[in-house]
Amino acid sequence: MASKYLTGVGSESKQLATWYFTFAAILFGAQLLFGLIAAIQYVMPGFLYGILDFSIARIIHINALVVWMVFAMFGSVYWLLPDETGIETVGIKIGKLLFWIFAAAIVVVVLVYLLIQVGPADETTIWFITEGREYIEAPRWADWGIVVVALGFVANLFLTGIKGKQTGIVTVLMADMIAFAGLYLAGMFFTDNISVDQYWWWWVIHLWVEATWEVFVGAIAAYGLIKMIGAHRQVVEMWLWIEVAMLFGSGILGLGHHYFWIGTPEYWWEIGALFSALEPLPLVAMFIHVLYDWGKTQGAQEEKGSTVSVVNNKPAFTWFVLNAFGNFLGAGIWGFFHTLPQVNLYTHGTQFTSAHGHLAFFGAYATILIGMMYIAVQGTNGIKIMKHTKASLWGVSMIVSGVVGMTVALTIAGYVQVLVSRAQMGATWAGYFDGQSGMWFSQAMDWRLVMGVVTFLGFIFLAKDLLTTGKNPVHER
Amino acid sequence: MIDPSIIRPEIALDDFLPIFVSSALVLVFGGFYVGIYTAVKVKLLKPWTMLFAYMFWVLTAYCLYLMGSLMHVGEFTAKALVVAAIGLFLLPFAVYYMQNQVHEENEH
Repeated sequence: MASKYLTGVGSESKQLATWYFTFAAILFGAQLLFGLIAAIQYVMPGFLYGILDFSIARIIHINALVVWMVFAMFGSVYWLLPDETGIETVGIKIGKLLFWIFAAAIVVVVLVYLLIQVGPADETTIWFITEGREYIEAPRWADWGIVVVALGFVANLFLTGIKGKQTGIVTVLMADMIAFAGLYLAGMFFTDNISVDQYWWWWVIHLWVEATWEVFVGAIAAYGLIKMIGAHRQVVEMWLWIEVAMLFGSGILGLGHHYFWIGTPEYWWEIGALFSALEPLPLVAMFIHVLYDWGKTQGAQEEKGSTVSVVNNKPAFTWFVLNAFGNFLGAGIWGFFHTLPQVNLYTHGTQFTSAHGHLAFFGAYATILIGMMYIAVQGTNGIKIMKHTKASLWGVSMIVSGVVGMTVALTIAGYVQVLVSRAQMGATWAGYFDGQSGMWFSQAMDWRLVMGVVTFLGFIFLAKDLLTTGKNPVHER
Repeated sequence: MIDPSIIRPEIALDDFLPIFVSSALVLVFGGFYVGIYTAVKVKLLKPWTMLFAYMFWVLTAYCLYLMGSLMHVGEFTAKALVVAAIGLFLLPFAVYYMQNQVHEENEH
């Protein structure tokens, strides 16, 4: 018999969470598929030319990334709310309706990207095809739809949080999610000055991924550690508050590192440098936290004479541990080595950024959200101890190897661009092409494609494992 | 033909690789420092291994210095890097102290 808290059966909120996770997994697959198409186009520029150009494949690749993560984040909240508050989510029927609206809107937006692709240079395109801001390119009608869905989601969260038990995790999520939803508004209005436009656009992108999303990860990690290894709630929640302070303390003004070269005043150099130098500290601290809780809980178990692992969901815990490392590596190391203005002058806009983006989004967010999917699968199938299967091990190994491989390849390509296009050729037009045509750059792009294929194969193993867990006898029920 | 005045990197060409490697090592060594510190405190490692934790912090500080020197950072950024190094040194002490206090309060 599974513990009550693990059981998703009978909870409408948890049922809704599984819908969100399922749609997120489909979008994750789409993200990888369109990433592969874009990677092939780097190697064979004529591939699908005139049918699905690089610009469109890239739009779908990066927007699907953001949207699948948002879906999985909403799913994670709907999953943990009944556990944390002790009640069913308030307004769950509206929550379900909003899910269908959100999913339908995403399908329509993707179909428009695929079938219409470009429009006239006027307001029609902004309203019905694309707004053209990287990562949040949805047309304006979809923007407003997203706002409605986000408001409904925040209302579900707040009403449940106020009516039910108010744990530290739910309180942090309530504050974080309202900031998360509110910041989206900064990317919705039009200005005819590109510097002003970029200034506000970064509020969405940076303050999402380096502030509100990181705090979200902290809250989910806290929930996961309590559920998977039985960590002390008081310790975990106390830590969560420190994490919130550190992440917001360094992350909000870390925004300055995006303001070095877009036409903003020069004082952003100092602000960006100072807070960017401090930004890795919470990531290092998050890493200590997982190690601390795991060591303490396992140590307490061993003091009682038991050598049995305290972990009740091995695949999910593996992804959570990968999150601690991945966040540190992708957001921390790959972010830090090109964050100061003196070196960012050369690395800005090269494949270094792409390398950082791949490893940071994967390490900081994809890992923990996949971990949450495993927690949901465990609960939905009434599993007490969830073990690794061949598919879960192949999935995690191939996805991690693939993403790390892509990151290394892109880093090499970025290094070539820094030396050739920027330092030697002075960021000139000729320098751009010289950098791109070199052997090291070309070979790096070949390897990026190979590693992309490895990642995609890993995703197939992951999907298979998630879909077949219910029937797998290896897990203890 | 490119105008020779354009080819004027403030960072010497040969210094880019050491900059990237040293800045990556800042966090690698920093990670070892806090990792070993925490592992010793939660009794996953023997106490004498704490020496290695401090050695890694020294390496971290050196890499920060090297990175900053090669980049020719200004006075303000140099101070920011010193603050980051000190912050990293104090971080595991502070976090462990607070976590342990909460642990003790809840167990006794």
